[in-house]
Amino acid sequence: MREDNLEMSENVERYLQLDPRSAAISQPPSSSSSAAAFVSPANKSRNCNSPCPDHVLENVLENVLQFLTSKCDRNAVSLVCKSWWRVEAQTRFEVFIGNCYSLSPDRLTHRFKRVRSLVLKGKPRFADFNLMPPNWGAQFAPWVAATAKAYPWLEKVHLKRMFVTDDDLALLAESFPGFKELTLVCCEGFGTSGIAIVANKCRQLKVLDLIESEVTDGEVDWISCFPEGETQLKSLSFDCVDSSINFKALEGLVVRSPFLEKLRTNRFVSLDELHRLMVRAPQLTSLGTGSFSPEDVSQGEQEPDYAAAFRACKSLVCLSGFKEFTPEYLPAISPVCANLTSLNFSYANISPDMLKPIIRNCHNIRVFWALDSICDEGLQAVAATCKELRELRVFPFDPREDSEGPISEVGFQAISEGCRKLESILYFCQRMTNGALTAMSENCPDLTVFRLCIMGRHRPDHVTGKPMDEGFGAIVKNCKKLTRLAVSGLLTDEAFSYIGEYGKLIRTLTVGFAGDSDMALRYVLEGCPKLQKLEIRDSPFGDVGLRSGMHRYYNMRFLWMSSCTLSRGGCRDVAHDLSNVVVEVFGSDDDDDDDFTRDYVETLYMYRSLDGPRKDAPKFVTIL
Amino acid sequence: MEVSNSCSSFSSNSCHSESSVNLSLSLTFASTSPQRDTRQNWPPIKPLLRDTLKGRRIISHGDDTSLFVKVYMEGVPIGRKLDLCAFSGYESLLENLSHMFDTSIICGNRDRKNHVLTYQDKDGDWMMVGDIPWDMFLETVRRLKITRPERC
Repeated sequence: MREDNLEMSENVERYLQLDPRSAAISQPPSSSSSAAAFVSPANKSRNCNSPCPDHVLENVLENVLQFLTSKCDRNAVSLVCKSWWRVEAQTRFEVFIGNCYSLSPDRLTHRFKRVRSLVLKGKPRFADFNLMPPNWGAQFAPWVAATAKAYPWLEKVHLKRMFVTDDDLALLAESFPGFKELTLVCCEGFGTSGIAIVANKCRQLKVLDLIESEVTDGEVDWISCFPEGETQLKSLSFDCVDSSINFKALEGLVVRSPFLEKLRTNRFVSLDELHRLMVRAPQLTSLGTGSFSPEDVSQGEQEPDYAAAFRACKSLVCLSGFKEFTPEYLPAISPVCANLTSLNFSYANISPDMLKPIIRNCHNIRVFWALDSICDEGLQAVAATCKELRELRVFPFDPREDSEGPISEVGFQAISEGCRKLESILYFCQRMTNGALTAMSENCPDLTVFRLCIMGRHRPDHVTGKPMDEGFGAIVKNCKKLTRLAVSGLLTDEAFSYIGEYGKLIRTLTVGFAGDSDMALRYVLEGCPKLQKLEIRDSPFGDVGLRSGMHRYYNMRFLWMSSCTLSRGGCRDVAHDLSNVVVEVFGSDDDDDDDFTRDYVETLYMYRSLDGPRKDAPKFVTIL
Repeated sequence: MEVSNSCSSFSSNSCHSESSVNLSLSLTFASTSPQRDTRQNWPPIKPLLRDTLKGRRIISHGDDTSLFVKVYMEGVPIGRKLDLCAFSGYESLLENLSHMFDTSIICGNRDRKNHVLTYQDKDGDWMMVGDIPWDMFLETVRRLKITRPERC
């Protein structure tokens, strides 16, 4: 039954297309009894002035549907019949849009009238790795303009990989008096000026989270722009803001924010400054420690008792930061280790000897991010203690293909043996074996996310010299809950046949420098019914492989293929045959005019869309 | 151009058109394709992380290299930041530091008269500067401290 619902939700856009009139309903949003005033096409036989049974049903339905929060459930409900579609649209307060170009802002405001929360995602993930030229699109501007008019009661905006300007933020701050939560993940285009306006104008602000975003230094003291008096702030994250802040103002802000639970500071906050903040906010549950280095090195003279400050934060469960950390101060966090559920050391060059005394006490850790400077030895220590570990991410300190590589299959296998509840792993390494992958597939059956990056391209099992096919085959076969997979190393078409055969729940697949032929792509597109996001780079897949997915593309969020063997003609054929899919092709440089005459396609990015090709495509993008 | 049909298989050798030559070039040399510029896009690390860590290690590819470390002198509250890659060896480092802090600094010999330079290595231990070859020093140094003469 559940599966049917999911399948139906994927057809929701198709349903919408069948009846364009239903997108043009306008209803006063606050009144629930207005159903009586509405003449529905389905009720053409009725023309009564008193509430009819249908309208009574709608009222009842509205009261019931308000409790449905899952977007999959709501999508299913909206497909039952027109009446249910209408009522669902009236009661949907949170809207999720996985690709900002899959529909126009107008379509959103026409269908849903009472939106309080908007989640909007823009660029595809490979844009994070310099694979997309700048100024490609995903502007927030048209969305903020449309929602400013349609939803004055909007409370929450969550953006990922969108281009947001200071003007957009200003419009947001001015248009939504009850605005409560702003979260910007991997966004760019704005600066401290925009943040200052939000801080100043949004008096109900509870959440201001800037995560992995590029924030230009407008030389504005934005912290001072928060209004005087008690704030509603629950979460303030600015660890990605790479400019100095007015510490005195920050301290004052923390003092008058009694509801503050999460505070993530940037590298311009020194350890002694952090101490002052902690002393004033011992109720914090999540702390981004900034630089974790003292301002000056007056050794031993009146140094604050850092360990005491940590000890006083009895609710602290999440630690991050350590952006310029000084090793001798690391033991200060020991008092909170036993309570920690999340620890992020991914900016700290921590050696095994630094890690061991800390991790030894972290029995409750569920999320652990670190650099590979902890070595296999450090991973063994994690495996020995962290029995509750659900998510592990290990990043390379030296991300070059030919670097030494302090971690390998040894640490990987240790983790698989010690952390049986593991659900999500991201692991960068130089050496791996099929045996270790097989071991993990057998030891960690709960894995839903498996991302392995063997940094040397086309690198085989370093013990047997064989391709990594069997290892990844074991992962897809044994990890029956797997929804996200990223592969690497030397892989033949065989690996992909395994993925197609066993990866029945996979929604996101990332492929780079892998496969031998179009068969590999075909295995995946024919075998994985749940596939939503397929991102491929530098693999020998061409037009034939592309065509093998024609039946899938409308049911997927997107397909990305860069540096493969696609031709313009092949892509044009696909665009011609799939009218509801937008096919974009572009090069890696935005001044590459020669692409016009070349038949080779550097990058293909295609996605389904209800409203046709976008009008804001830059010159270097060709929409076929 | 009939690139698509004849060149769909990676192992095909029978393509002669210009695009296909580009294709096979980009596939044979598995590194970046000819059309691609040399912006770093592999391994897939986000630029934020990459740039943050870059300042703390040597990239010996002939790229722009810099290694900034903090330098403190005992008794002086404010530290300085120094790009170690700007120096060719210990001699030029010492010379520069001596100028910077306006005092004579030596390394190696414990001397009651001079300030001595120490460094913190990647394991967190404080060591005497000058014990190991310059290249190795650059790999392991994290911070520098100029100690007062009598403390040594």
